[in-house]
Amino acid sequence: MSAHRRSPQASRRNFLKGAGLVGAAAAVAPSAPANAMPAIQSEKSIAALPGPRQIAAETMPPPSDPVNQTSSGGDFMTDVLNSLGIEYIAINCASSYRGLHEAIINHGNNKPEIITCVHEDIAVHMAQGYAKIESRPLAMACHGTVGLQHAAMAMYNAWCDRAPVIVFGGNMMEADKRGPGADWLHSAVDIGELVREFTKWDDQPASLQHFAESTARAYKIATTPPMGPVFIALDAELQENPIPNAESLRIPKFEQVIPPQGDSAALAEAAKMLAEAQNPLIVCDRVARTPAGVARLVDLAETLQCGVIDYRGRMNFPSRHPLNQSFNRALIGQADVILAIEMNDLWGAVNTFRDRIERQSRPATKPGAKIITLGVRDLYLKSNYQDFGRWQDVDLDIAGDGEASLPVLTEAVKHLMDEGRKAACAARGQKLAAAHLAMVEHSKTDAAIGWDASPITTARMCAEVYDQIKDEDWSLVGTTIGLSWPHRLWDFRKRYQWNGLSGGGGVGYNLPASLGAALANQKHSRFTVAFGGDGDFMYNPGTLWTAAHHKIPILYIVHNNRAYHQEYMYLTAMAVRHGRGVDRMDIGTTLIEPNIDYATVARGMGVQGEGPITDPNDLGPALARAIALVKSGEPAVVDVVTDPR
Amino acid sequence: MIGPKRFALIALAMAVLCASAPVVAADQVGPQGDAVNGKRIYLKDACFTCHGRSGQGGVFRGPAPILAQTALPFDGFRELVRDPPGDMPGYSGAVLSDKDIADIYAFVESLPRPRSPKEISSSQ
Repeated sequence: MSAHRRSPQASRRNFLKGAGLVGAAAAVAPSAPANAMPAIQSEKSIAALPGPRQIAAETMPPPSDPVNQTSSGGDFMTDVLNSLGIEYIAINCASSYRGLHEAIINHGNNKPEIITCVHEDIAVHMAQGYAKIESRPLAMACHGTVGLQHAAMAMYNAWCDRAPVIVFGGNMMEADKRGPGADWLHSAVDIGELVREFTKWDDQPASLQHFAESTARAYKIATTPPMGPVFIALDAELQENPIPNAESLRIPKFEQVIPPQGDSAALAEAAKMLAEAQNPLIVCDRVARTPAGVARLVDLAETLQCGVIDYRGRMNFPSRHPLNQSFNRALIGQADVILAIEMNDLWGAVNTFRDRIERQSRPATKPGAKIITLGVRDLYLKSNYQDFGRWQDVDLDIAGDGEASLPVLTEAVKHLMDEGRKAACAARGQKLAAAHLAMVEHSKTDAAIGWDASPITTARMCAEVYDQIKDEDWSLVGTTIGLSWPHRLWDFRKRYQWNGLSGGGGVGYNLPASLGAALANQKHSRFTVAFGGDGDFMYNPGTLWTAAHHKIPILYIVHNNRAYHQEYMYLTAMAVRHGRGVDRMDIGTTLIEPNIDYATVARGMGVQGEGPITDPNDLGPALARAIALVKSGEPAVVDVVTDPR
Repeated sequence: MIGPKRFALIALAMAVLCASAPVVAADQVGPQGDAVNGKRIYLKDACFTCHGRSGQGGVFRGPAPILAQTALPFDGFRELVRDPPGDMPGYSGAVLSDKDIADIYAFVESLPRPRSPKEISSSQ
């Protein structure tokens, strides 16, 4: 954040005011000591003293220089934001959008409600987490240059995660209006260029009507699948100055775009392939945009009695459904028809890859297997950042929103289901249900290994948390790399019980995005819980201050393995490959000496902290205390010292 | 080129490792390892980073198998350490001697059996 205020214009009038004051002061000031700084003497001598008439004439306020105004462009901007139903604007305050900031407080009576963040990365990640729970965006505002650079990584995560976020960045377009210093440092010719490669759209409005229409357009583009972040530059004068033409301004009528359904003939062809398959399989990643998405996917899977492998980019499919085969990826090699819905990395799903000296890959599918894709991800790609992944050959490629297209696809499948096919499906479903049940039982047994160990196993950490929250209306909104225990042990049914991962793998997502999700859950009185790594925590610990300041209830469990553990493993693999120094891979990867006390850090931010918990027998009582606090409306942190994974 | 013996060992190893619950092999014949030294190496040379201090398994790029009370015979275990099939790096003799591997094997063999899920948590 930059706390600068704009320097007063060095106008002749101000200059003469100053000169007058200096002249008066000179008459009464004691003599300067001999060792006084010579510069002061020099400044005094620069201003020639004017006569009384000149002082009077020059200090009269000219009619063309009003000092007050009764409205501002920021007022109209606030009205536009409210017309779009934007509930919150997460900000890190900055002078380049002071006009809008003041207008939201005084004209909008703090509506949208300002969420104060101590870093732009926190604000954007909060918006990402909020959007995935609430199915609509909140706004974020920052300096257009230095603030946007802080915000950029979080915007990249939102881009890769296909999450709608509306970012506003202050700017001062007209060079002759900029004061010396920060006004220049915080202005750019094309401020959106910084984030253009990972935003869906951006604009720099030059008038208030332009702002209204571009903001409505930005909202529409951000929330139309494939969703993503957008950016609007805010000219300072446009925000701050009086509205010149109020009678001609119009707030646009906004209608949400209806997501596109796939081509009916193509969906019918897909239905035929699936109905005729011996072993159809569904793989999915970001299907469910709304609660209807989960129910629609269940309907298709049950109609086909086929397995579903959920890559968990969203809460797509119930974890305890008998057809959930997410931990049985060998099915990919057995399927004769694979329906891939809203997959983020299809190639990665249907191929194996070895990270060896010579990187190797081969299809995981059996020869002749057909692949159908349904989704909108590829409808909007950009060139520079390579998040689109490797090319995958497919047999039927249907452009259409997965959730919107599922009802038509499922009805088409049902029409093809004669008694013979229904019997075959039922037999297949029984086998899959048995495999699912075996997986659940295996998970329970596996979770018991090392149950009494210290550091605490991640399985025990997740099992103990679930044991105490399973009767709440819970929502798990964050997890750490590779932490699959919740999905192996917990009963996920509702869409808001899971909201996916960071998207871009940018560390620092988990704590603020979880808080954004908690903000969305708050008005629904849901119990928000998240696991987050210690490495992630240290990127944005200030998030906890926002949690305390705005009283956002969340149970945040620090999965404290005292390392950037994924990197620790990668580094070990390097040393083993090179045949040397395997025992020194803690250098640069671990967070020890000193150990970080996350509970104390939390308390310093105004959040109750428990831990560090090293004895597994202390975990249950610590969780009980923290959960009671969260249920009273407060955030709480529990620092659990864990085994790595 | 994978020889028949190595193929059989890997096939056996993968079959055992893919069975997620630990089971005790009926016939495990291997050198007498030093479990105490094996634990020291297991922690020092970062085996625990993927497979857990309790041999409970974990995740690297993909799942890292459970090792506690492994059902693998020693030869299969050593073969997997030397040239594993997935993303795990192959540990050469310069990093782990056969004696080291034997000691690690003795350590993972010595890890306690898991408690019954029913006795540890109501959610289990």
